[in-house]
Amino acid sequence: MNRTTDEPAADHSDRDVFFRFRLFVAGDEPNSKKARETLFRLAETYMRDRSEIVVVDILEDYQAGLRHHVVAIPTLIIEAPAPERVIVGSLSDEDKVLAILGLSHNGDRK
Amino acid sequence: MSTPRTSKRSESGSMSPGSAPGQTLAKAPTHIQGLDEILEGGLRRGRTSVVTGGPGSGKTLLSMEFLYRGTLAGEPGIFVGFEEPLDHLRQNAATLGWDLAGAEQDRALGMVDGRIRPDTLISGDFSLKGLLASVSGMSRDMGARRIVIDALEVVLRLYDSPRQVRNELHFLNDWLRSEGLTAILTIRPVSGSVPSFQDFFDSMADCVVCMDARVENQLSKRRMRVVKYRGSGFGSNEYPYVITGAGLHIAPISTVELRHKALGEKMSTGLTRLDEMLEGGFRRASCVLFAGLPGTGKTMLASTFANAACNRGEKVLYVGYEESEPEVIGNMRAAGLELEPHVASHRLMFMTVMPEAMGPEEHLIRVMNRLDHFAPRHLIVDAISACVRMGGRHAAFDFLVRLLNQCKERGTTVILINQLSGITGHMEISGNDISSIIDAVLFLSYVEGAGEINRVIQVLKARGSGHSNQKQEFVITDGGICILEPYTGGGEVLTGAARKAQEARDAVEVQRLALDIQAKEVELERLRLLQQETADRRRRQAEMRRADLQGIEEPNQSSGRDRP
Repeated sequence: MNRTTDEPAADHSDRDVFFRFRLFVAGDEPNSKKARETLFRLAETYMRDRSEIVVVDILEDYQAGLRHHVVAIPTLIIEAPAPERVIVGSLSDEDKVLAILGLSHNGDRK
Repeated sequence: MSTPRTSKRSESGSMSPGSAPGQTLAKAPTHIQGLDEILEGGLRRGRTSVVTGGPGSGKTLLSMEFLYRGTLAGEPGIFVGFEEPLDHLRQNAATLGWDLAGAEQDRALGMVDGRIRPDTLISGDFSLKGLLASVSGMSRDMGARRIVIDALEVVLRLYDSPRQVRNELHFLNDWLRSEGLTAILTIRPVSGSVPSFQDFFDSMADCVVCMDARVENQLSKRRMRVVKYRGSGFGSNEYPYVITGAGLHIAPISTVELRHKALGEKMSTGLTRLDEMLEGGFRRASCVLFAGLPGTGKTMLASTFANAACNRGEKVLYVGYEESEPEVIGNMRAAGLELEPHVASHRLMFMTVMPEAMGPEEHLIRVMNRLDHFAPRHLIVDAISACVRMGGRHAAFDFLVRLLNQCKERGTTVILINQLSGITGHMEISGNDISSIIDAVLFLSYVEGAGEINRVIQVLKARGSGHSNQKQEFVITDGGICILEPYTGGGEVLTGAARKAQEARDAVEVQRLALDIQAKEVELERLRLLQQETADRRRRQAEMRRADLQGIEEPNQSSGRDRP
């Protein structure tokens, strides 16, 4: 079951909006690898100089996983801007991720 | 912390008594009342068991109890819940007297919130590896031996395809094996779910337990069944269970061994005449049925027995489904039987409850708890006919069979009272199809005759004992029950006025017979006299003839003399 956001996402194309991500991965397993790559690429493309990514490897720090209630891997917690959002999965549906972030393809591509 | 938690790790494997050759499976006892008996020792150590059941069936409770009691026995455990908030679980457990928070502080219990946040979005593939990695770490730190994964179906719903579900389950299975934890997975059967889903559980799990809570006749019934247990024997019946104030309680029945248990010594029924009828009284640890119409004195008879037992210093539990304790005590007092002192001295305990108040399982467990704690030598159930109101004939049968088996195992004497509803034949006497378990039957009835109704008692059956089948009249006096001497005139038992009338009739008859004999004697005398008379006459006739003959001869001689 794929949940999509029903309220229209706020437009965060504005350059002043700062993004903070916490990505939970499990070593180099395929989905984790893919999510990490995708996230870094999207940040580079759409959020250059206004994003911070913390990658937590659950195999090294299991306590962090418990603290953040991480059930599935990979899990991306969007800590900023508020409200906090959680995306589970390899982030393969980039359009969806961008929509969640309030960013669009054609918009701010700096 | 109410219960001490031992720090040592329990290495005790199989609880199976004697551990017969070939029975080498190491088992982890669940420490849940009744469950280890059904599972013949517990769950397989280091393997995965599945507990399935609908909402409210008690899956989570069972698995939580397995963990909690494990911690008390020195086996740390981890609970991973995908459905309920952990605080709810902690609160629910607290109402059962389980201190989960304390166990968590002691690092004996780990609770992992596996709920997916409701605002979670999904994009692309994922797996439960993250959670399992966290749990692995936790398990290492705690030295966990047990794990529960609760409501797995909730997290599996996140997956789009059966293939993903299957992969995830495989992964989970491998992970559990590698961790070496004794595991319970609870899962609610999802209607219309992927068929492979259930199949997979069945192949993955070493043991599958089904829990079923349903409502029948407006009463809730809970049943548990072990569907399979790889490499182990198990009780294959459906077992009733209830959620008591202290956790789960499963009522196992082990019918096999019961029938063979020998009955005990004889003991007095409290009535000398009845003891004589039974050639010494009831046998200990037997099951005796008092059957009869209302008002025949069944309760009185049972109370008389209770009184005698209490006087011997033996404890009696009186389970009443018909009357309240004060009613029974009051009625017995009116008939000259004082039960109150026995209650005061804790030899007699009443347990009166409306049969409708709860389902048969709960009734059963309540009585069993009393049997455990009060430890009576004898149990009286007044009346089994009321048990039907627990939820039908089947429910009553279940209740009684299980109760009787429990009592036989404990060596408790059981007096069952069965109230017959009408003028029925002996067919219905044992009631509720339990006749095979019953060792002795006393039948109380009325005998009608000459405008009067009188009570009679009869022993219909007494296993392993000689007994009199004769009906005996009894009366309830101010001093209790009094059984009269048997009376069998004209092939029928006679009672009351009819008995007196018969006695009067008999007296006349005896007189008549006496006269008859007298008359016959007179007749005989007459005949004798007659015979004598006839003989005399004949003799006289003969004499006369002889005289005649002489007379003829004499004239001849005289004429010769007259004519010389």
